[in-house]
Amino acid sequence: MIACIAIPGFELRAALYRRPSLRLAPAALAPEEGSEPLLGPVTAAAEAVGVRPGMRLGEALATCPTLILVDPDPAAAEREWEGILRRLEDVGIAVDSAQPGTVFFETRGVERLYGGVESALRKALAAVGSVWDPCAGAADRRFAALAAANVARPGQILVVSDDAIRDFLAPLPLDLLPLAEPRQQELRELGVRRLGELAGLPGGAVAERLGPDGRRAWSLARGGERRRVRGRRPPAELVERLEFPEAVGQMLTLRRAFNVLLDRILARPERENRFVRKIAVVARLVGGGSWRRTATLRDATAERDRLRAALWPKFAELPAPVVELRIEIVELTEDTGQQLELVRAAGAELGVRLKEGLRQVRASTGSGSVNTVVEVAPWSRIPEARALFVPRDD
Amino acid sequence: MVADPGSARTVRSSRRLNEPRPALVIATGSGIPRFVNRQPVALLREEWRVVDRWWTEEPIARRYFEVVLDSGQNVVVFRDEERSCWFTQRA
Repeated sequence: MIACIAIPGFELRAALYRRPSLRLAPAALAPEEGSEPLLGPVTAAAEAVGVRPGMRLGEALATCPTLILVDPDPAAAEREWEGILRRLEDVGIAVDSAQPGTVFFETRGVERLYGGVESALRKALAAVGSVWDPCAGAADRRFAALAAANVARPGQILVVSDDAIRDFLAPLPLDLLPLAEPRQQELRELGVRRLGELAGLPGGAVAERLGPDGRRAWSLARGGERRRVRGRRPPAELVERLEFPEAVGQMLTLRRAFNVLLDRILARPERENRFVRKIAVVARLVGGGSWRRTATLRDATAERDRLRAALWPKFAELPAPVVELRIEIVELTEDTGQQLELVRAAGAELGVRLKEGLRQVRASTGSGSVNTVVEVAPWSRIPEARALFVPRDD
Repeated sequence: MVADPGSARTVRSSRRLNEPRPALVIATGSGIPRFVNRQPVALLREEWRVVDRWWTEEPIARRYFEVVLDSGQNVVVFRDEERSCWFTQRA
């Protein structure tokens, strides 16, 4: 069977993880900078006074003037979600993460280990942790498992047998489908409000009216395809960070810091000369939120300039000054897969000698003795705010 | 997402360059240094003020002096007017 663990409103829960007192207050995830002013997930207290996820900001504040808007914290969400995935992997589950807050896995591998589907799901819920209020669903098809997890109450396990899938899905609302809101609205205007009503329509007519997305939604409403779930490859563990003494919004400063971090992460011995396939840049913002962008390289590389060219343009999307900058290598290739140079570039020999010299200094004086001076705000009137000592152990 | 491996390497943090160091300064009634670290001041070369971050909880109000000591050494000292104490620093 395919199992699904869903954590409702995961982004909000992750953003409130370090502020647990707000969980009991009327709070909602604020819309992202530059996006439509619609609320994200909301707390139970907010829901009790009539605030709903997806509500317009103005309407929500008029409904509940004491509503607390929580800035999205994608870095915290990623971190907490990774922790959950690792805990699931620790109990022997090969996870396939659909998005933060939703994970699928095959129960076949762990059924015998834990004595049945329900026991395995109970183990998985325990691994996630009750603080997250996870819900579990299982079915022979992926979408049915997702629907079951979305219908289940926190801590509940809902198993749907294959012959009951159509009946189980029929009364469920359309918003479980991965269908854009205007399309869902179109269906509602046509009088289609439940999955069963959509499943009862002729497939060709749905495709003609709503296009390929509609056809896919129709197929899901009938249970969806039988597809295998593949466990993920474990991620790499390379992180470099730089904390600023004060918030930095200057692109020149950020560029310098970014270059230093890139040099440091590429010099990490754990990389073992492997090439970077996927890399992420994460910033902790001055208001308490965070920002994260990833770049997946078509050709894996360890060239600083290529990595910089892939990541640096994303800094233009930074919404606020940065307190901490972090670079993470998310995925490394197993082998080089690239033609090495026959003749070394000019200056490479000098670089090797310098590196060797620094290595000898470190060997005699200890780790942390070699530093790079990074000018972070050379124009500052406060002398100690102009530059940082950044340890360099490459 | 990559989990933070929590190694010593990743927790190692950067530090500021040119942090102010406490200085022993004896000043005149108008606040101009006469002795810096027990050495007499031979010449006052320049004086300036830095007032910044007054909108934060850590405001900065400093009165800087660039002086030449009797030994010929060029020194920059400032009086931190928030904390009422003297520091030396490269300007």
